[in-house]
Amino acid sequence: MHRRDAIKKVALLLGGAFSAPTLLAMNRWEQVALFDESNFTLTDLQRKIVAEIAELILPKTSTAGAKEAGVPAFIEMMLKDCYAKPEHLSFMEGIAALEQDKFLEMTATVQTERLKKVEAETKTLMKSGFKGVPFWRLMKELTLLGYFTSEVGVKSSFEYVQIPSKFELTKLKPNQKAYAY
Amino acid sequence: MNLNIDAKKKNSYDAIVVGSGMTGGMAAKELTERGLKVLMVERGREVKHVTDYETAMKEPWDLQHRGKVSTYAAEERWANKRFWGLVNEETDKFFTNDTENPYVEKRPFDWIRAYHTGGKSMHWGRQSYRWNKQDFEANLKDGNGVDWPIRYEDLEKWYTHVEKFVGISGQAEGLDVLPDGHFLPAMPMTMPELHFKKMLKEKLNRPVTIGRVANLTQPQKVHTELGRGTCQFRNKCPRGCPFGGYYSSISGSIPAAMRTKRLTILHDSIVSELIYDEKKGKATGIKVIDQKTMQMEEYFAKIIFLNAGSMNTAALMLHSKSNRFPTGFGNDSDQVGRNIMDHHLGVGAGARIEGFEEDYMFGQRPNALYIPRFRNWGSDKQSYLRGFGYQGGASRDDWNRGVQADGFGATFKEDLTKPGSWSIRIGGFGEVLPNPNNRMSLDADKKDKWGVPLIVFDAAFGENELTMRKDMMQSAVEMLDTAGFKDITSFDYPTHLGLGIHDMGTARMGRDAKTSVLNAFNQVHACKNVFVTDGAAMTSSSCVNPSITYMALTARAADFAVAELKKQNLK
Repeated sequence: MHRRDAIKKVALLLGGAFSAPTLLAMNRWEQVALFDESNFTLTDLQRKIVAEIAELILPKTSTAGAKEAGVPAFIEMMLKDCYAKPEHLSFMEGIAALEQDKFLEMTATVQTERLKKVEAETKTLMKSGFKGVPFWRLMKELTLLGYFTSEVGVKSSFEYVQIPSKFELTKLKPNQKAYAY
Repeated sequence: MNLNIDAKKKNSYDAIVVGSGMTGGMAAKELTERGLKVLMVERGREVKHVTDYETAMKEPWDLQHRGKVSTYAAEERWANKRFWGLVNEETDKFFTNDTENPYVEKRPFDWIRAYHTGGKSMHWGRQSYRWNKQDFEANLKDGNGVDWPIRYEDLEKWYTHVEKFVGISGQAEGLDVLPDGHFLPAMPMTMPELHFKKMLKEKLNRPVTIGRVANLTQPQKVHTELGRGTCQFRNKCPRGCPFGGYYSSISGSIPAAMRTKRLTILHDSIVSELIYDEKKGKATGIKVIDQKTMQMEEYFAKIIFLNAGSMNTAALMLHSKSNRFPTGFGNDSDQVGRNIMDHHLGVGAGARIEGFEEDYMFGQRPNALYIPRFRNWGSDKQSYLRGFGYQGGASRDDWNRGVQADGFGATFKEDLTKPGSWSIRIGGFGEVLPNPNNRMSLDADKKDKWGVPLIVFDAAFGENELTMRKDMMQSAVEMLDTAGFKDITSFDYPTHLGLGIHDMGTARMGRDAKTSVLNAFNQVHACKNVFVTDGAAMTSSSCVNPSITYMALTARAADFAVAELKKQNLK
């Protein structure tokens, strides 16, 4: 089957019409690295885009950002190991749209605006009964998971307690961080 | 000839216990402590307390997939994964590989198994509630199933006996619907939970109590002398607890039995059949397949306890055919494998709680709230029979709230390091009626790799359960609303029998050998030296978590068995 037909068919199976980014991405599809479920992989360019987005979601501040916490590689590994074809497709669709728009060449401000737009579109998409997990949701949940369970993320974001030894009610102090266990 | 006699002698014990889980462990403890030499046979691998809890002390970042289930693990454990992501890297070694151990579903059945030392006691929910008096009378009253041959009073002292040994943290409430037990200090409720309790009492006159849970809040001598210590409030119990903070067969009953020096445990040993001696009219032993070498070996004993887990116990009985029992051991009544019950769950509601911004807690409580049954109780009358309880609780949201929240960037990141707002979630556990058409049998052709026939499930929830579920959802919404909570969302996940992991009823107790499999002391009616004391023995299901009742029945039956042996009644 022609790749584009295959994508259309999957999109139909997913129960949705093509989203705007999909239509935009159509022409890019032939150049997107071929993948199947067991062999999900990103190109170097796509990896850079994933890393930039992760860092925009959780940037370096007084504490480490997503890149320093190893989030970009974590996202790719998780997509490969824990997700199936519908998510692989929606992820590739989202990344291809950004690739086409030369995301990496945008200024940080424009990148942020662009991602806000993607977030808004995703909300609409999910409300319309989209089956599976859209690109932005995958990016966001995997960035948060990868960061807030990484060693640097846990230790710099929370008060990390390995063995609490007790359970008691307390009062929050001003600016108190959450406990992590 | 002498060789055979020697071999028989070498493989002879006073008692054989099939299974090392919740009830197998308790049977071994009670029998060895009464002086019997016991052989425990576990079909799965050996798991040693502490040293084999490989993930127990791992940091969050040590787990490659951070709690998510990989697609290959999901494929291997296709049935286990149905239980909401429990088969992740933290715990998947303690769930059975379903691909190697398949079963057949005529109608969908969620069979969750744990083939290793300790069985499902490794990762049980630890909620421990006594049955109430009416639970034992329900079948007689409404005509479903058969009457229990025992009443609450028969089990009362055995509840106390096992509660003391297991160690149950809980609050005495003086309720008829949820009889108090022997408790260690209760765990605290959070401030919004205390508010919820107060509102429900005031407005609906419904009690809310803290869960009664098998975690040691104040270990007693009986616990510390086995090396068990205080719960550390990590809430990582299903990984195995290196502190012995929660009860399992591995941390409790098996070490207690080993201490007597009268327990031998065989691992990797699948019991394929009971050996029935037609002349003596009793079961004399078991046939065992070594799951690694495929070698067959026979073992002999005066009494046999079947504690393989309800479905496997029934399968073993059905597979043990003889001239006397052509349709399966002890199956004169044709009730072996029938009347599968469970608790139906996955239905309830959640809400956001406003206020309590300054309230927080230190530590992770491995426990929840419990709302005892209020339906068809006292003056309440519903269109369906029996009832349900709820488990759940309130806590502050963590960083996961960011996934659904709008925004990203520096402020977003900073916000997620703070505790979020409070939310609450409660889910029902409903009683399932006994129905002879909910059954399992053995496949006529398909066998597993050890040549044992596969189990075929043909069972589903009935009208009573489905009607009850609607109320379970609506009542949850009503209670959260009564407490003034906001943005209430209800849920009702599609589930099947089995998912409660409280599968029971396949060799029920009863007063009449024509309609039941076991008598009032869990003896097989037609073969008194075989006892079934796992969930298979249950005549009805109540709506409370069953393990403590299984253990009480086991201790009672073991005490009886030893007395009968002494009286020479089981010769």
